[in-house]
Parts: sequence; C-alpha cells; structure tokens
Amino acid sequence: MDRTTSASMEMRSEGLGTTPSEHPAFAGRIELPYKLTTGRAASVFLAELASRRIVGSRCPSCARVLVPAQDFCAECGTAAEELVVVASAGSLSGFTETAAGVLGLIRLDGASTDLVHRILDAGLADLQVGQRVAARWAEEAQGSVLDIVGFAADDAPAASEEVRPLSDPSDPVIEQPYRLRLDYQHAYGPYYGRLFDEIATSRRIQGVRCPRCECVLVPPREYCDTCFVRTAEWVDVADTGVIKAFSIIHLEFVGQVREPPYIYAEIVLDGAATRLIHTVGGIEVEEAMERLHPGTAVRAVWKDGEPVGTLEDIVYFEPVFDD
Amino acid sequence: MFGRAINRVAVVASAQTKLRDAWSNRQHVDLISEAVVGALKGSGLRIEDVDFVIDCGSDILDGRSISNCGFLGAMGAHHKEESRVEEDGLWGALYGATKIGSGSAEVGLVLAYSKPSESDVSAFYATQCEPFYQRPVGFDHAAACGFQAQSYLASHSLSEEVFADVVAHDWALAAANSAVELETAPTAGDVRASSRVAAPLHELELSRPVDGAVAVVLASKRVAQRVCTDPVWITGIGTAMDQHSFAMRERDSLPACAAAAEAAYRRAGMDGPEGASLAELSASSAATQLMVLEALGLADPGGAARLYSEGSDVALNPSGGSLPADPIMATGLVRLSEAALQLSGRVGHGPEGASSAIVHGAGGVGMQNHCVFTLEV
Amino acid sequence: MRDVAIVGTGQTKHARRRTDVSQAGLVREAVDAALEDACLTFADIDSVVVASGPALFGAVNQPEKWLVDALGGHMKPVVRITSGGGTGLAGALAAMNQVSSGFVERVLVVAYDKLSEGALQYQISTLYDPFWGREFAVGIMGFAAAYWRARIDALGHTEEAAALVSVKNHRNAMRNPYAHVKKEVTVEDVLASRPLAWPIKLLDVPPISDGACAVILASEDAVPSITSTPAWIRGMAYYGEADNAANRFMLQSVPLQLAAQRVYKRAGIVNPRRQFDVAELQEPYTNFELSYYEGLGLCRSGEAADLIASGATEMEGDIPCNPSGGCMGANPIGATALIRLAEAALQVTDKAGERQVPGARTALVQAGGGWANLRGVAVVGADRN
Ligand SMILES: [Zn+2]
Ligand SMILES: [Zn+2]
Repeated sequence: MDRTTSASMEMRSEGLGTTPSEHPAFAGRIELPYKLTTGRAASVFLAELASRRIVGSRCPSCARVLVPAQDFCAECGTAAEELVVVASAGSLSGFTETAAGVLGLIRLDGASTDLVHRILDAGLADLQVGQRVAARWAEEAQGSVLDIVGFAADDAPAASEEVRPLSDPSDPVIEQPYRLRLDYQHAYGPYYGRLFDEIATSRRIQGVRCPRCECVLVPPREYCDTCFVRTAEWVDVADTGVIKAFSIIHLEFVGQVREPPYIYAEIVLDGAATRLIHTVGGIEVEEAMERLHPGTAVRAVWKDGEPVGTLEDIVYFEPVFDD
Repeated sequence: MFGRAINRVAVVASAQTKLRDAWSNRQHVDLISEAVVGALKGSGLRIEDVDFVIDCGSDILDGRSISNCGFLGAMGAHHKEESRVEEDGLWGALYGATKIGSGSAEVGLVLAYSKPSESDVSAFYATQCEPFYQRPVGFDHAAACGFQAQSYLASHSLSEEVFADVVAHDWALAAANSAVELETAPTAGDVRASSRVAAPLHELELSRPVDGAVAVVLASKRVAQRVCTDPVWITGIGTAMDQHSFAMRERDSLPACAAAAEAAYRRAGMDGPEGASLAELSASSAATQLMVLEALGLADPGGAARLYSEGSDVALNPSGGSLPADPIMATGLVRLSEAALQLSGRVGHGPEGASSAIVHGAGGVGMQNHCVFTLEV
Repeated sequence: MRDVAIVGTGQTKHARRRTDVSQAGLVREAVDAALEDACLTFADIDSVVVASGPALFGAVNQPEKWLVDALGGHMKPVVRITSGGGTGLAGALAAMNQVSSGFVERVLVVAYDKLSEGALQYQISTLYDPFWGREFAVGIMGFAAAYWRARIDALGHTEEAAALVSVKNHRNAMRNPYAHVKKEVTVEDVLASRPLAWPIKLLDVPPISDGACAVILASEDAVPSITSTPAWIRGMAYYGEADNAANRFMLQSVPLQLAAQRVYKRAGIVNPRRQFDVAELQEPYTNFELSYYEGLGLCRSGEAADLIASGATEMEGDIPCNPSGGCMGANPIGATALIRLAEAALQVTDKAGERQVPGARTALVQAGGGWANLRGVAVVGADRN
C-alpha cells in the first residue's frame, strides 16, 4: 500500500505522472467474426476472378472506367452501373515496399484508374514506373481479390485498350467472411494499478474519496466525475454490498464468457458510491426472480488459490438473506 | 455570410500532456483530465462555465466501443452537452466553433487524445480501407505514404534527399519544444540512415506515433474579451475529403488539402496564405508535408523543399509539427493549440510578433481528409 | 442564430439482412431518397455529416472515408459523429450547428448501421471497460434489463405495461412502409415470449436491422428556394452523464431531463403532454419507452404504466408515441435516432401517409445510447419558434 501511495503522491506534487508503473500492461483482445456484404460491383468483380476476368464499371456521367469495379464514381457521385471487362495486364504507375512486401499501383489496359495489388518476383531495383505487368492467377479461386496472387513483369502482353462488355457473368460473391482481430496492451495507470494490486495481494478492494462530495469511487480515478476535483484519499471498501440492479441472462451470444442462465448484477459495495459489474451466484435463477431485489445484500465469493488481480478473482457475489 | 459567425469565436486557452512514445503508466482518462484541467487553469474559466464538450478519439485505437461514453467524467462532460467526432481533433474544433458561432453556446471544451502505444497503428489505418479490394493485398497507410513519396519525387524530378532535410528541421524544433519528449533530434544523415519502411521513405521520414492528449477552450467574443487579454480569433475554417480509393487519387499533390485551404481563406476574406506569420501542419510523412505546404499555397507545386533549403517567410511548424510527434487523433488539435499559444506569446517558440497563423489537420489513409483553420490576434 | 429546417428525408428498405447492397450502397439508397424528396442534387449539398454506431459493427474504421464516394462527398466537408445508439440525432445536431452558424447552407446527414454483418451483442459488450466488467457484459441488454427490474419495484413499470408498448409499436409498424417487422402481437404473446435477459423477453426487443436514413437540413435563407413545407427544428440537444459517477441516479435519466429542459425552453414548451401532437421515441427495449414518458414530462414519475394503459400514446390517443412503430419495426442502431427525426418531420409536414397523426404540427423526438447515459431531445414543428 505504501508503495503505491507514494507513487500517487509523487504524481500530485509533480503534476505529471512520470512515475513508472509497476504493472505490466493488461493484454486485451477483440476478435470478431463477420459476413461482409460486398455490394453489386464488388460481388461481380470478385466472382469473375474465377473466370480470370477483371471487371470494371463505367461511369455514365464522366465515362471513366473504374477498376476494380466501383458502385459509385467518386469524382462525380454517379452510380456506375455498367460493368465491363478490362485487360488483365497493364502498366505500373507506382510501387513501394513495406512490411507487407512490394505493392504496386497498376493501370490496367482500358482502365481510367489505378488499382493497388502485390507485385511478385521483383525487388524495388527491378521495377520502373511505366513497365508492363500482368496478373498472375491463383490455382484455385476463393472469391477474393487474392484470386489474383499479384502482378508480375514476366510475359506481360503488349498494351491493348480494348474494354469489352461483361457477358455471361458468374454468380456474384455477395458476402465474404471476415475476421477482425485487434490486440491491446492496456495500461493500468496509477489508480487501476493499485486497485488490482491490492486485490491480488490481499483481496482488498480500494477506492478513492472525493474531497468535495466525500463519495468513495470504485474503481478509483483521479477526478470525481460529478465535482471534477481531484480525489484525495485511498479508502478500503468492503467486499460486501447491495445489489443496485440485476437481470437474469438467458441469451447466448458469440464471445460470451459465462454459460447462461446466470445473473448479471450491478453492485454497490459497502462504503462505495459507484457500481461494480459482476454476477450473482449461489442461488437458482427461479429463486432469484422471487427473492432478489434492488437493495438485497451480497458478499463476494473469492476464488480459491492465489488471486491474480482482476474482477475474475471473485467467482460471484452471493446473496445474504436476513432470514 | 460564410464565416461571419465563426469570426466571433476565439481560442482562449489550451493545454496538452507531454507527447511521448508511450505513457505506459497512465490511462487514457489520466491524460484526458490532465489536458482538460491544464486548459481550464489558464483560461480564467471553471468547469462550470463550460457549456459543451466535443471529444475526438478512436474506438479502434482505444480498444473500446464508443469510448467517449466511458471517459465522460475525465473530460469534465458530466451532465453537459457532449459529442464524439471520430476524426482528428481539428474537426472537433470545427464543431465547437460552429456551435458557438450559432449562438447556442458560449464556452466549449474541445479535446482529443490517442494512446497508440496500447495498440497497433497500422491496424488502425488498415481497417479504414474497404475490406474487399485494398485490405487483403496488404495496402495500408505506410504503403500510401510510400506511393505518395515516389510519385512526388518523380513528378518534380527531385531527389529523395529532400525528405531528410524536412525531417531534421522539424525534429530539431520539436527537441526545443518542452511539450514533446525527445532526447536528441536526428540529423539529416541519421534520417537517411534509418531503415526503409515504405520505399522510398525511411522510418524517420514517417511521422512518429506518440501518446498524448490536448484540450482547447473555445469561447464567444463576449466571453473571450472578458476572460482573455489576448484572445486568438478563428478567422476561417475549411475542410474537404478526397475519394476513398487511394489508388484512384492524385498522389503527387493533395487536392483535398487545397480545397480545404481555399475554403478557409475564402471564409477569412483572404486571397491566400500571404501574410501568415506561421503555419502548423499535420503530415504523415516528409513527402506529404511538402505536399501540404504546396496545397496551402505556401509553395508552388514541387517547390516546397526550397522553403527548407532557402528559408521561408512563414515560420513552418515552430512546435516541430507532426513528424516528430503524431498523437493520431490529437495531432491537428495540437497544431491549433500550438498556433494559438504562439500567437498569444505564451510559449518560448514561434516567431516574434506573430499575428496570424495557418493550422492544418488531416485524417485517413494517405491523408484523405483535410481541415484548415486561419487564426489571428 | 439562424433557424434550420429539415427539407428532405429518405430511408432505405430496412431488413434483417440486406445482401444486395454493401454498407456504401445502403447509405446511398437513403441519400438518393432524401435528395429526391428535396428535389436537390449532390451539387446542392455543401457538407456531409455521417453518423453510425461503433466501427466494430461494420468492421470498418472511420467508415465515412469509405462511404464518401457513395455520398457525393468528394472535396466537401465530410465528418462522422459517433455517439452510441442516439448517434443519428447527435449527427443531426452537428449538422444543425454547421448551418445555424453560417458555415454552410445545406447539409446532408446520413446515419446507418448494417448490423447483420457481425456479432452484435459481443460488439456492444466492448462498450464496457476492459478492466471493469466487460467479461460480464451482455451487450447493453443485461444492463437495460437490470434497471428495468429496479423500476418495476420503484416506479411500477411492470412487465404488462412494457408489453403494451410492444403491442402498440408492433401494431403501428404495420402501417409503416419502412418497417420490416410486420407482426401484430398481444400482451400475452409478449409476456410468454422467451426470456433473453429477464425481465426483458424476446418481444420486448426490437429486431436487428440493416438500414439507413438521410435528412437534408437547410438554413432559413436556403429553405424558401427548396420547399414550401419545411419541418423547422425548434430545438435540439444531446447530453452526457458519466457512467459510473457517484450515486448515479438510474431510475430517471438526468441527461434526458437536462436535454428536454433545454430544448423545451427554446421551443416554448411548458406543457409537453398538451403542446406536442406526436412523439417519436427511440426505444431499444420496450421498458425504455415507459421511462421516456416520465423523463420527457408526458406524465409524472411513476405514472408511465397508467399512461400506456390509458391509451393516450396510441394512434388515437392525445399524445401518440411512435406512430412509425419506433424501433420495433426496424432498428438499424446508428440510423434509428435519425429515423425518429425524419418521422417527426414527416408528421409535421403531413407526409406520413397511413401513419399520419391528423393535423400534427409539433413533434417531440428523443434519442439515446450508451449505458443510458447519452440522451438527446429535439422538437420539430410546422412553425418556427
Ligand atoms: Zn464519373
Ligand atoms: Zn465529488
């Protein structure tokens, strides 16, 4: 306790929290599945790659051929509904190399715009703006822009400006599976750092008191939200409290950590003026519907073994009935 | 008509946290409240005087959806009008200026923050690309910067040496700015020796993501004249967005930046940037910084590098600009804060006797979106 | 301060899932409809404001930068406001300030979400602090249900009263061509429906939808050349409340009351029940509508159950609430609040078709998001203040 108190006092005197935290960051991950709708132009473009055709769309207003096919001409805002086939070879208008490899901007023959794609089998030294490149196709089409593996310089045919109408289109690729994964190293900072340190070392929950409204805030924070003054004092709060509100969860959903049915609860710990998000357990849900109320007393049931310093060190809060 | 009302809006105070690689011992809320408290401290205003709060941050960078919703207390926004503009903070200032200009509020707090050290900046940008054509091939912001640099050099028959001079200039200024945490500034030689990360650009020719927060207090003429001896007036604002597909955009120039500047100058009743004492710019790379200068009319196309080799009448990025310190969502608002502090003579850097400034902010992959403010004292 | 009016509105064909359009195509559909309604083209639009839910909904960060091509926004001001479920109204407020201040004359506001693309509850659960409760979050449904349960005890917002909201809004949606849930339900159906987060049951919950809405705002100077039937925005505000502030009052929404006070003052509303002809309320769950009745002053605290039971908020009542069917007919979250505003504009300009409240001249709009801590209110009228 003394260690983090002094860290916090130091922050105050300096006005800048330059004291390094003892806590490693909290590793967070958000990983979500999607089925993304491609839209008309992309759905055809992606489907036609299986037939090794590259589809563009022609803007009826400015007559530009947009490749890869776009639903809307960006420059004039017009819907570009006419789909056409352009060459699968063209010239290189630009290139760069990043961690992703060599990428090129390619003006396909017949197109009015450049597209971005991978450049294969070439280092930067081998490349020149204006040089001819041609699409290299994947063995097996997946309905992705990567059905073109990339563009390469070898055997690129001579330029042809022919733009053909799209005939006999394949079934469009109307949706694509997608997975978004984002990783974080969330800093604890001095307030959460001390909170979770105390939980980990002594199963003690601490808040901070606002000098103006005298409320105790858990989780602790530097400023009282309502008074916007600096909190001044660390305070122990109990691991008992009351249910402020609860609901009984039956819904199942992707990413859920607990198995339904369970009781979602917002709990005000004795001594605190804020809410702690957790679950209520040790009671059947049918009984809970009857017996739990806002104001019902609860106590934390701590996990066996060494706490690690998260809310999961508490298994759940169990109701304490008078009778 | 245009700009008439915005002419009566002033920047009366601002503050920022130190900009540094990583604030690994502090949370977003800690940075936000430091900036807010600091801005109010210098303003003669209290939190109770603030009518509304506009905040700029990114859910994807923060790892939290509608992250503003969880940070309201630290922003001083409890029981106030509040909105999140999910764009660089200069657009938050645009919102604030229109709200005060409309007469519906007198004092607004505009804040912006980022902690890129907690997440992956390349994912922040890559997820801005539509998911079907651009994302799968590995295209991202770094690649866009590389393409822009190559195209700029080719269009104007310049050597890549010009970039390192721009970087060395700005990092030296940043090293002299106490708001930026920087031990030493690299020389042009150091810049050229850094690894190539988006050919032809070297690592140090791209902006350095940093953690930080900034808060700016905007006020109506009535309040500004009451609390401030030296209010900095917003005279013009312009903003414009380019099309989405990077490959389909101009790459050796920034037409959206030029459109934003033209709109700002028009609203300010200016023919161009002539007469400006200083310019605070946001750029993702040394190449786009040259392109920004040209789009703002501070140099002819291809001529911006000469502002560094031959000198410039307009002080360029006296704070160091975004190349040495790019707090992503806060970068443009830091520029506004810096320009206002320099105009009011409250910081050690910046040209003496400065009376007007051009402020530029940008957002998006390859700087798709641009915002320009003109200021005067 | 210049007055601002709504001069055009448009909505998509909302659906559980639209596979015929991308996110960009979806917003374009609403924009085309709004431009047609106002007899304007992209060339007439000075500025674009996009409003949508969190980036995680559609897997695209700062999606306005993708949508710009579909919005005719090339080289124009384009900015996105994201403020949770009520973001559509927050976007309209940003646009209103742009016009009112003289920054621009005509702004296109477009709000959307394509919720069928991903895993909604998990996405919404990421609202929670990663350190403090995210692992226990059930989107916002667990939270909403919990405080409804508390209001049952404290304010008498019974399951039966909420069921009446469901019955009313489902019935009203039958007359709304934009609604995609068209199914009449009874109180018994609602009470017997599957519990999701008790006391919230399946029929207390609106659908998950793909949809967009667009609204064009114009200055008092620009209105006469566009339309003779503008819907004047007589006031609009959007307030926040620190989620875990000390002793946060959860039974009534303070930010809602603050927003209502501010807007009512500007619009000269002293008796909301009598002065409003119609209300469009954003009810992500049935029980919220009950709570809004009280927060907006349509009845006193604790009287919402009586109000719905009295039939006053039915189409034939003295203060019809959600003639559109509200969220029950379609709930593309980011668009939902703007849809409420658009529906209010249709009502006061006598363009609401079968769902028209006869003679409506003054409409109340409510929006909200987050942990019930972001709340917006607007007043729309056939007449100026
Ligand atoms: Zn066109
Ligand atoms: Zn306090």
